[in-house]
Amino acid sequence: MLIIHELTRRYGDLVALDRVSFEVQSGEIVGLLGANGAGKSTLLRTAAGLQAPDEGRVEVEGIDVWNEPQAAKRRLGYAAEEPTFYEELSADEYLAFIAVLRNLDPVSARRRAHELLERLGLTGRRDEPVMQFSHGMRKKLSFVAAVLHRPAVLLCDEALDGFDAAGAFEAKAELGALARDGAAVLFSSHVTETIERVCDRAVLLHAGRVARQLSRSAWGDPAPGPSPLEREFLAVAGAEH
Amino acid sequence: MRATPDSDSTAFRFLRHHLTRRRLSQLDLRLKLELGLLAALIMGFVFWQVRGAFASVAFQGGAGTVVSALAITWLGLALISGGFVAVRHAHRLRTRPPGPAWLSLPASERALARHLAWDSGVVAAWTVVPGVGIWCAAWGYVPWTWSLALVLPLAFVLLGACWMGTWVGERIAMLGARRAPGVHGLAAVLSESGASARARRRGPARWTSRPGWMALSLKDLRITLRVGSVRRHLATSLLFWILSALAWRLPSPPHMRDLEWVSAFILALLGSAALGEWLVSLSGADPFQTLRSLPVGLGQVWFARAALALAATAGLLTLHAAAASGLTPHALRLFLVWVGGATLAIAALAVNYGVTLFPRADIAQRLLGLSLGLAVAASLMIPLLGWIVLLSAVLHSARRLSRWSRLEEA
Repeated sequence: MLIIHELTRRYGDLVALDRVSFEVQSGEIVGLLGANGAGKSTLLRTAAGLQAPDEGRVEVEGIDVWNEPQAAKRRLGYAAEEPTFYEELSADEYLAFIAVLRNLDPVSARRRAHELLERLGLTGRRDEPVMQFSHGMRKKLSFVAAVLHRPAVLLCDEALDGFDAAGAFEAKAELGALARDGAAVLFSSHVTETIERVCDRAVLLHAGRVARQLSRSAWGDPAPGPSPLEREFLAVAGAEH
Repeated sequence: MRATPDSDSTAFRFLRHHLTRRRLSQLDLRLKLELGLLAALIMGFVFWQVRGAFASVAFQGGAGTVVSALAITWLGLALISGGFVAVRHAHRLRTRPPGPAWLSLPASERALARHLAWDSGVVAAWTVVPGVGIWCAAWGYVPWTWSLALVLPLAFVLLGACWMGTWVGERIAMLGARRAPGVHGLAAVLSESGASARARRRGPARWTSRPGWMALSLKDLRITLRVGSVRRHLATSLLFWILSALAWRLPSPPHMRDLEWVSAFILALLGSAALGEWLVSLSGADPFQTLRSLPVGLGQVWFARAALALAATAGLLTLHAAAASGLTPHALRLFLVWVGGATLAIAALAVNYGVTLFPRADIAQRLLGLSLGLAVAASLMIPLLGWIVLLSAVLHSARRLSRWSRLEEA
């Protein structure tokens, strides 16, 4: 469970977040919608422990991210909007490094990493240095690193932006699987269609404040499975779902 | 509309003008002063080294021989400069020259080639610094009218070497480029830029369980092997340390019995300073977002770097224990304690600055250099005062460690 309580963050005179409060329950996927500059990335970066809040607190499974950062980050996964890596390491080396720091069992971590890379279409590239990856491939790798340890709380900042249709389909399936296993997922996007398909609830941010919170009943269930265009793409890409 | 060669030249001239202006404006006043001071030091050092040689030449052969010696020295400098430019230009063309996707622009190949050559060759401007030192060293041994008359030819030699270097660099890059049908010259090179890097693969990763600090240390070693800028610091350190061990083999005349250990000590300290720079550069190589979103604590990060410093210090001491076989056990122990103590203090300072100023490795490098400079100056003024300055800096930097968990990328 993720609790964001009265979170405020300023950049000089600009109030990027103004007493933002909401919760994401275990097993729930919450979409964070907002225009450019609404404060989505600031909120996710602050929740992930990358920048300190001026006021308020963030709790991951009851643990304060800023008072007990290591304990909180063990339970947290974060997929950044513009991910950074050790560019000279291969994708496989990078994930192995992440697995050690997250204290994962090497055999099962390797199996899961390779399975995720396979599903996202990166198997053939996993021994290449990350510096050779395209934008979409970097986003996929960041997503794999964020979900490798099956986090209790997952923060995704425009995580599917740059994914191809097959990769996006698999990533959405992984988000669903994590939520079914009890993870709380906070997912930001500009694309309302993605939020409609993936999320149980949506939080609308505007000028650093929560403007509105909507549940799935407000927009209704989308058609199950891939859209007609996605189906065509998947058929061409040869993906099996 | 297709750009004409004239409009291309104008556009590139405009670009070069703005690039130069922007690059100069990016240097703050302090950095400009530091660079100016560095240039003056290099110039002075070259002058000091060459002046004596020219004096001897003037004594033996007169002004004409000094002019010949000046021309030969200058030519050697120009050759080094041209060679450096050639390697740099070939490397940049093969990897990816800075700027936009050049082939997507309707620029003439000639104008583009000239611009890329300028961008690779502009670094050769630094050759002027030792060049002026050499020219000044001949002043007084040849008539001043000759000295003045030599300025233009010498400048042309440097410019010519730079131009030659870019020409050779372009040819080298073309030799290695894969030829696609119908694509020739610079276009063939640029269309293949970065292709060799793309083809590179690593061996399979090792998925093993180990403590977090050890994973960080191993990652640091891997980054060192793969990133040239980081590797250079460690290579410099190792080079100075090897030279310091070789200093024990220096022939020392009876009236200069201290030469061996003084040289060994100074060279070892220079190596330790380079080790410090390496430790700071490792902090700079850590991507902020990746490291800070992981459950990694200050202790792990600090100990990962300190463990590398400890291992390096142990290696240095072993090297000297083996090389300084002529010393008495007491003198050897004393030497090892001093070198080991200084290396550990410098390394601790570097680790503290690198960790607490993360991810601003540039500021950490500057502070490290300043602290070491102060320690050396204090040592020269009053013996042992340098130790007090160094240890004070270590303690002061350690006080910042508690802020680590609240550091931000901005």
